[in-house]
Amino acid sequence: MALSTSRTLLRSFASLSPFARCSNSTSYGDSLWSSEPRAIFKGGSYFLAQRKLSSTSVLSLGSIEGAFPSLLQEWKLGFPSLSRALYCSTADFKKNELLELQEVEKVLSDVRADNVKVIPVQKHCAWADFMVIATGRSTWHVKNIAQALIYKVKQKQKGAQRLMLPSVEGQEGGKWIVIDSGKVVVHALDEKARDYYSLESLWTTGTSEKEPIQDLEKALVKIRRKNNSKKQAKKSA
Amino acid sequence: MAATFASKCSRVGRSLWGGLGNNLSGLLSASHETACNHFLSQQRTFIQMRTVLKVVDNSGAKKVMCIQALKGKKGARLGDTIIASVKEAYPNGKVKKGKVVYGVVVRAAMQRGRCDGSEVKFDDNAVVLVDKQGQPIGTRVFGPVPHELRQKKHVKILSLAGHIA
Repeated sequence: MALSTSRTLLRSFASLSPFARCSNSTSYGDSLWSSEPRAIFKGGSYFLAQRKLSSTSVLSLGSIEGAFPSLLQEWKLGFPSLSRALYCSTADFKKNELLELQEVEKVLSDVRADNVKVIPVQKHCAWADFMVIATGRSTWHVKNIAQALIYKVKQKQKGAQRLMLPSVEGQEGGKWIVIDSGKVVVHALDEKARDYYSLESLWTTGTSEKEPIQDLEKALVKIRRKNNSKKQAKKSA
Repeated sequence: MAATFASKCSRVGRSLWGGLGNNLSGLLSASHETACNHFLSQQRTFIQMRTVLKVVDNSGAKKVMCIQALKGKKGARLGDTIIASVKEAYPNGKVKKGKVVYGVVVRAAMQRGRCDGSEVKFDDNAVVLVDKQGQPIGTRVFGPVPHELRQKKHVKILSLAGHIA
């Protein structure tokens, strides 16, 4: 099903190509491939493209056309490409992330978030490169951190045809807000939530250590059982 | 001459046996195939009311029964939220038996198509308990979880999970 939709897409794109090529190709191409967190999968971007086709009249296609034939080739080979392969194949044109690490750090220091920790998780996770954890002093502060990051993204994309916003979760609760912008995932928690979930221990120690080691050590130690009986101990004469 | 006669005999013999063999093997393969097909292509469906799911976080519940699938007329699939009632729980946990909770389906026996044409399915139905705002009740998620959660905006569960399928 995915194959047929992509072929129809290709045909429609080809028909639009002559005048689309003259328009500037940076913003739309980048937004389509690199920064949309939902479009990790090859086909995900196709479906996005399908929806956008209906809404816009002018498409900037320079970067997309370069990527389509390579993906078609991959399909002909018969191997579905993983998300990482997609990133590798589209690495020839510049990738503008929604949020860069330095920008995130700057925004967090502006908002005065406490205890900002950056954890590189390239080795553990295939879906993100950096996890940034920040604490807010109250729910309002946490919401403010999220708002500030989104504002930064909007500022960065000023003047672009369409705004590519990172996905935000937990906005109405205010206890734990996650801002997912592709490579960088920002977690804004309040103090209680940070202690409760302890995300650093998850990502710094490793992926498969679920049981803490201290319990194991305790389990192996022989403890003399407490004698709470009221019976007086028989004294052997 | 003897050689040719022998070869003719052998050819005939082979053809006879070939014919018989073909019939037998055909029958066998047909029956085997149908049995295999029926066995391997068991049709798995949605998660609906009365479906018992396993809980894969450390919130204290063990088994949970779906009472409502929040989206979808036929039922919930991988990545959807359900309302469930706790049927079995650990003695000291955050949730007790009989509590009505929300949950996010993280593993489903029904296959879910991915955008690149592949399908993903798991061996069991598993759920992670969440509250109404989407905050996970437990602090760790066990077992593999699929990528689909990212698209469905359950990045919190993904970040608590150890292994991502």
